[in-house]
Amino acid sequence: MTVSRVLIANRGEIAVRVIRACQALGIETVLAVSEADRDSLPARLADRTICIGPASATASYLNVNTIVAAASGTGSDAVHPGYGFLAESPELADACAAEGITFVGPQAEQIRQMGNKLQARTLARQCGVPILPGSEKVHSFEEAGAVAAQIGLPVMLKAAAGGGGRGMKIVTEAKDMRQMFTSASAEARAAFGNDTLYLERYIANARHVEVQLLGDRFGNVVHLGERDCSLQRRHQKLVEEAPAPAMTESRREEIRQAAVTLARNIGYENAGTVEFIFDQDTGKFYFLEMNTRIQVEHPVSEAITGVDLVQEQLRIARGEALRFSQSDVIFRGHAIECRITAEVPDEGFRPSPGRIMVWSPPEGPNIRLDTHCYAGYTVPIFYDSMVAKLIIYGRDRAEAVERMRRALAQFSVSGIGTNLSFLRFVMSHPDFAAGKVNTRLVEELITQMRAVPSAIASA
Amino acid sequence: MNNAFDTLSDDEVRQIAQLVETLDHSTFDFLQLEIGDLKLTIGKGAAPPTGVATAPVAAAQPPVAAPAAHVPAAPVVTPAAPDPSPPAAKAKGPVQDGTVAIVAPIMGRFYAQPEPGAAPFVAVGAMVRKETTVALIEVMKVFNAVPAGVSGVVTEICVQDAAIIEYGQVMFRVRPTETASNDIPIVA
Repeated sequence: MTVSRVLIANRGEIAVRVIRACQALGIETVLAVSEADRDSLPARLADRTICIGPASATASYLNVNTIVAAASGTGSDAVHPGYGFLAESPELADACAAEGITFVGPQAEQIRQMGNKLQARTLARQCGVPILPGSEKVHSFEEAGAVAAQIGLPVMLKAAAGGGGRGMKIVTEAKDMRQMFTSASAEARAAFGNDTLYLERYIANARHVEVQLLGDRFGNVVHLGERDCSLQRRHQKLVEEAPAPAMTESRREEIRQAAVTLARNIGYENAGTVEFIFDQDTGKFYFLEMNTRIQVEHPVSEAITGVDLVQEQLRIARGEALRFSQSDVIFRGHAIECRITAEVPDEGFRPSPGRIMVWSPPEGPNIRLDTHCYAGYTVPIFYDSMVAKLIIYGRDRAEAVERMRRALAQFSVSGIGTNLSFLRFVMSHPDFAAGKVNTRLVEELITQMRAVPSAIASA
Repeated sequence: MNNAFDTLSDDEVRQIAQLVETLDHSTFDFLQLEIGDLKLTIGKGAAPPTGVATAPVAAAQPPVAAPAAHVPAAPVVTPAAPDPSPPAAKAKGPVQDGTVAIVAPIMGRFYAQPEPGAAPFVAVGAMVRKETTVALIEVMKVFNAVPAGVSGVVTEICVQDAAIIEYGQVMFRVRPTETASNDIPIVA
């Protein structure tokens, strides 16, 4: 099982991130690029590129056969999928295995088990990990209504094949069930080609807490602490931090152990994240899902543990045992990540691609910027709107928040619209500073910011 | 400001595209226009016989507007043509030598012949028609026959047999012929 030349089947900042990790380990890199990304920053950093198709992701980054053919055609012995695109495609993992190529990620079977949210729920329950009161597959709105009556409203309808917030609907009144059921199954069918739905109790005052894991093929699983990702807009994370604020140490330990138990039970290999919903009113937590890939927000865990997660992914993929045990993982300080997107907050977060004229990020100690952007780069219209991740470290949360404020104030971008003004507003808001966050805070802050237009201008 | 093409508005480009289309359906071989500094030659066959020393005007598919001699470096204006969906090959615009490129419509492994030991689909000097298969591109054991997409004479084979080719990479160069009529011998 050698990993000496890695084909990176991704783009943007994560492609840069993976290339740098490979370089640090002396591994050659081949970057698969679409026609739109031929001249991107990662394309210049990689040892070589191979153009796999036109700009449209379905004909390039999402094409399993093309990715595998590109890997074998360039003599690559491994494929790193990054996040998004084919990162959680069991078909890619299978196709790599069939060609004798190492997939930098878990086994195809583990991706499948966790990819079906209903199956994942069952697995969690079998391991004794708490799950939300809910249902198995519901076939009709009548059946959904009956289940909802049992577990009590509000409930959330979810897609079994789900992810990214699609096919998710909150039902607060029984009379809305029919309409919500219809639109959730339509969304699920459109997004995943599978309209299977299930129900879970909806927690209104919730935080999103997730545990970073690493597992090797020898059955070792360690956690690298938890992250709080409660600040989300339309189920897309916006700000993440580690460790999770305002949580008792005993509860923190329970959540971490629950994640390790689940991963150990399926012999999980490589980097993964178990997501939980944390009910702030009762102090209870419940399993949501497991992400079988490296995540966007992994740098905050790196900042507080000193572990390079992408390098560890590569080491695990080439068959090495984990180099450290749980007791070797030392948590120190606090880290916050802001996702900077090419979106205009005061125009309903309208996407704003185009040519970057000024790109002047903050610099200095405790500032990390993961990005593929630079002055003169054109943000293409075809892909995700994220242009950078700003990661700030401090000895404690207050220091990290203060440093993040200053770093955002120094960040100057023109040519494209960005969400920087909104991030500045969030960081200066007393609720965030006090750690009073939940999954609805972002929507509230958007409303507040609109009410005070000067907040944007002065930010 | 020597390069008049830089100053063409979208509207003007659209008008040129319309001219090209009109010409394509007419019985004329070429059209020359001179408006102020801008000289425009549109053709679908051989270069105009006398006078203007134009860049060789290309062939047929798709009809192109070529810049006149005093703006040799100007890019070729290619009218909006329907994008052939893969795996149909795209013939790119002409370069200085009057040939057009057949580029790879997908990434994969290039095969010059239908099976090992067989004769290649085409050789230099061979006549091809738009629908002539010029190569196979293999992706994960699926072999896609690639049609030439242009009629003419193969002047260069740019790829080694069994090499990996990228999306958009030039596979062949072809000197286009005037029309793709049926009397051109079919290459086996």
